[in-house]
Amino acid sequence: MPNTFWEWVAFLCQKYFPDFMRGLGVTLELAVIGTIIGCVIGFAVGVVRSAVIDKGASPVGKGLMGVIKVVLGVYVEIFRGTPMLVQAMVVYYGTMALWGWDIPSFTAGIVVLSLNIGAYMSESVRGAISGIDPGQIEGGQAVGMSYGQIMFHVIMPQVFKNLIPQIGNTFVSAIKDTSILNVIAVTELYFAAKTVTGTYYKFFETYIIISVIYFVLTFVISRLLGVLNKKLEGTRNYELVKEPESTDE
Amino acid sequence: MSEPILQVKHLVKSFGTHEVLKDIDFEVQKGEVISIIGSSGSGKSTLLRCINMLETPTAGEIIFEGKPVSYKPKDKNHFRSRVGMVFQSFNLFANMSALKNCTIGTEIVAKKSKEEATALAKKYLKIVGMLEYQKARPAQLSGGQKQRVAIARALCMEPDLLLFDEPTSALDPEMVGGVLEVIRDLARTGMTMVIVTHEMLFAKEISSRVVFMDNGIILEQGTPDEVFNHPTQERTKEFLSRYRQ
Repeated sequence: MPNTFWEWVAFLCQKYFPDFMRGLGVTLELAVIGTIIGCVIGFAVGVVRSAVIDKGASPVGKGLMGVIKVVLGVYVEIFRGTPMLVQAMVVYYGTMALWGWDIPSFTAGIVVLSLNIGAYMSESVRGAISGIDPGQIEGGQAVGMSYGQIMFHVIMPQVFKNLIPQIGNTFVSAIKDTSILNVIAVTELYFAAKTVTGTYYKFFETYIIISVIYFVLTFVISRLLGVLNKKLEGTRNYELVKEPESTDE
Repeated sequence: MSEPILQVKHLVKSFGTHEVLKDIDFEVQKGEVISIIGSSGSGKSTLLRCINMLETPTAGEIIFEGKPVSYKPKDKNHFRSRVGMVFQSFNLFANMSALKNCTIGTEIVAKKSKEEATALAKKYLKIVGMLEYQKARPAQLSGGQKQRVAIARALCMEPDLLLFDEPTSALDPEMVGGVLEVIRDLARTGMTMVIVTHEMLFAKEISSRVVFMDNGIILEQGTPDEVFNHPTQERTKEFLSRYRQ
């Protein structure tokens, strides 16, 4: 048996390497899927919640829009106002108790993570939309574009570009937040570590190992996102276009 | 006189208890170039913004080509596609090149083909002298250049009426000339225009009619000669005297 701290670390690393890697795989899978679905939810909810109700719209349209906004507002408040750990429990056990659904814990994990990310992301989207110069909307209105067209062609491309760093941050925190999902037996990295500690009772050694794994992962991803951001900033150069004179009428 | 292209009837606009426009009656005939002058806060810009429905009037009616314009989004958007607007702060789409700024409206609002939209955009960018800069983004252009692109964008929709909201107020004096030159050329082509401006000499030169607004009403209007050389109202004389030095 290993004697010193470092020997234990090396021993556990070696022995449980496949388990840690499997856990890491699940963690990454959760974070990637959760961030993607969460961003889709966040953008949709953010756009709808910031939609300006046209004074000339039909009463039915106005009423419907009002109801949808209230429902989405309640969703955002609930998911921002309760701990994700509790949400995981409620979704996993609640669906069982209420409707008898026995959903796999991985699926429940994805649902909770996505809804959680969606709630936070929607507020960022809302902020980013209101941060766009109102002149951009007026410019679109002046050529007769509808509200939807202005959003799609003018506002959202600018909002999306401004939110790319935020999406990166969200992904990094999603990686860490997946550890919470061990409470509903999702076999992610933290869950794997918990299992390992059950055999040799080497808590410090085991958690140091996964700390390093989490840190290396988030650190590398942060750097990569930084590089990606720089690339997306694009160049500020442009060329002048000399049209041949023959294009004259 | 033939039927006016645009009529504004009993227009009132209040922001809270503050009445900015007080029962304005105003009409535009086809081919007219109208300058609206007056001090800041007199309601000139608000009138223009109400005409294009960027502000919802508190009361009154806007009649375009004989038909009242409704506030239903669809009717409103169609009306706006027929009436161009050039803003003081340009309001070019920041995420698009100069060319795309000009083609987007013709493509998605006027539903023209990409080729047709591009040809139109190039034609008007050439007229305003910005064809070379078609690939540049708004942030890469100077104020005068942006305003010329904005004018091209409005022209691409081939509007029946073009509104200018202080088009040169945000420009440095050196840039003003180029933009005014473009508007002057447009006036010669017979384009119907309403221009809110502080450029008195320019207004006097190109307008067929000058409207003087003060404190939310149209105080005086007439030919440039009438308004500038023989104003009847004291307030008009006082306002104009500040420009004559």
